[in-house]
Amino acid sequence: MKVVIVRGGGVAGLTARTELDSGALPKSAAKTLAGELARANLDDVPEPPGTVSWPDAQLYEISVEGRERSITVHFTDESMPENVRLLMAWVDSRPERIESIE
Amino acid sequence: MPRFQCTCSIAPPDLLAWLAVEGDPTQRLAAVRALATSAAIRSQRAVVGHLSRRLNINTGTMMGPELASGQRLSVYDNQKQGRPFLPGVLARDWGQPPVADVAVNQAYDGSNATYEFYQDVFQRDSLDGKGLELVSSVHYGVAFDNAFWDGSQMVYGDGSGRIFQVGGLTRSLDVIGHELTHGVTEFTAGLVYSKQSGALNESFSDVFGILVKQYSLKQAASESDWLIGEGTLVPSLGKALRSMINPGTANSGDRQPGSMAGYVDLPDNNDPRNDNGGVHINSGIPNRAFALAATALGGNAWETAGRIWYTVLTTQLSANAQFIDAANATVETAGKLFDSRVQDTVHNAWQQVGVLP
Repeated sequence: MKVVIVRGGGVAGLTARTELDSGALPKSAAKTLAGELARANLDDVPEPPGTVSWPDAQLYEISVEGRERSITVHFTDESMPENVRLLMAWVDSRPERIESIE
Repeated sequence: MPRFQCTCSIAPPDLLAWLAVEGDPTQRLAAVRALATSAAIRSQRAVVGHLSRRLNINTGTMMGPELASGQRLSVYDNQKQGRPFLPGVLARDWGQPPVADVAVNQAYDGSNATYEFYQDVFQRDSLDGKGLELVSSVHYGVAFDNAFWDGSQMVYGDGSGRIFQVGGLTRSLDVIGHELTHGVTEFTAGLVYSKQSGALNESFSDVFGILVKQYSLKQAASESDWLIGEGTLVPSLGKALRSMINPGTANSGDRQPGSMAGYVDLPDNNDPRNDNGGVHINSGIPNRAFALAATALGGNAWETAGRIWYTVLTTQLSANAQFIDAANATVETAGKLFDSRVQDTVHNAWQQVGVLP
């Protein structure tokens, strides 16, 4: 399973990509990732209304590519659910993650 | 402890805020006065910010009655806790001496310099022209790589050290001026943050951000580096966020065009790669028009080009203004405020970036 976080906009206007492959994780960490994903419940993240009321708020995309199904969601600094923030913080804390500027 | 914590109940202040927005005119005035004069509320500004977040409205929506608290600014520490904890713990109140926390002092000094710029140069009393207190929160979230205006206050992350340098987001006076100018725009033209009107919104923030820096340094247009956020990114990415005079050259991810020939037509569809329809990308075009006009006019940019752009932002543009509208309005205003030489120079700048034929 692969988790890809894309962050764009923001005051910098840069697009940054963070990728984490569960295959690169130790077994216990892969299990934690599955738990973080379950808690983040991406199925219930609503698409933002399309008008940003916070100038320079970042825009986010999270894609999860699994063996059986894949999901892509969008949100902003304004609409970010707390458990999704925690998922991103966990991914950002993993040394196995791969980061790039698009 | 924060002054207010998020709860799930509808507390009386929430009802007042709701009435301030949704009530009839009498209710609105009464509600805002009640909010403003409550003895329990020292800083109505923080309160209005807090309530507007909970009700998901912008402070601009509540315009009309005064929002002034009688003090110029205040700085809060979010203690890395993110949105539910905004503004956070009061870290340095207006008039207090510097504290040990560098980010707090930088937000304080940058907000103060921005206030003084607008007051001294344009006789504008804060963002709303009515003494609105400038509230800032630093140490927002964990390793957060952004700074933004949330419709009622300034928010600064610490930077992750991977994109922004740790501490980089409060270091740059033009970034602080940029963010606070989003507040001025919200209270004036209200430029919609999408495609060309959004790129104009961004460009006005860069224009007045760089002018705050130039004014603070008493720097003529010819001496400016025209860089936004110099030294805020990690060095491997580049020297700055944007170059107003040479768009597209500030960092390795800089996609800004410097003229309409390079305009990047992106959809506004929530995809982070598309940046609300390229608002931070195409802002390079009006940015360069300003830098070209200001350097051609010479002297202090805030006295000539800055005055023209300020008049246009605050009196001439509608929320859906496009590049051509900004170009025509600045040319016309240049003739009204100055003379035909200045008008021709502004016209020529917009021609060079391909907005005017």
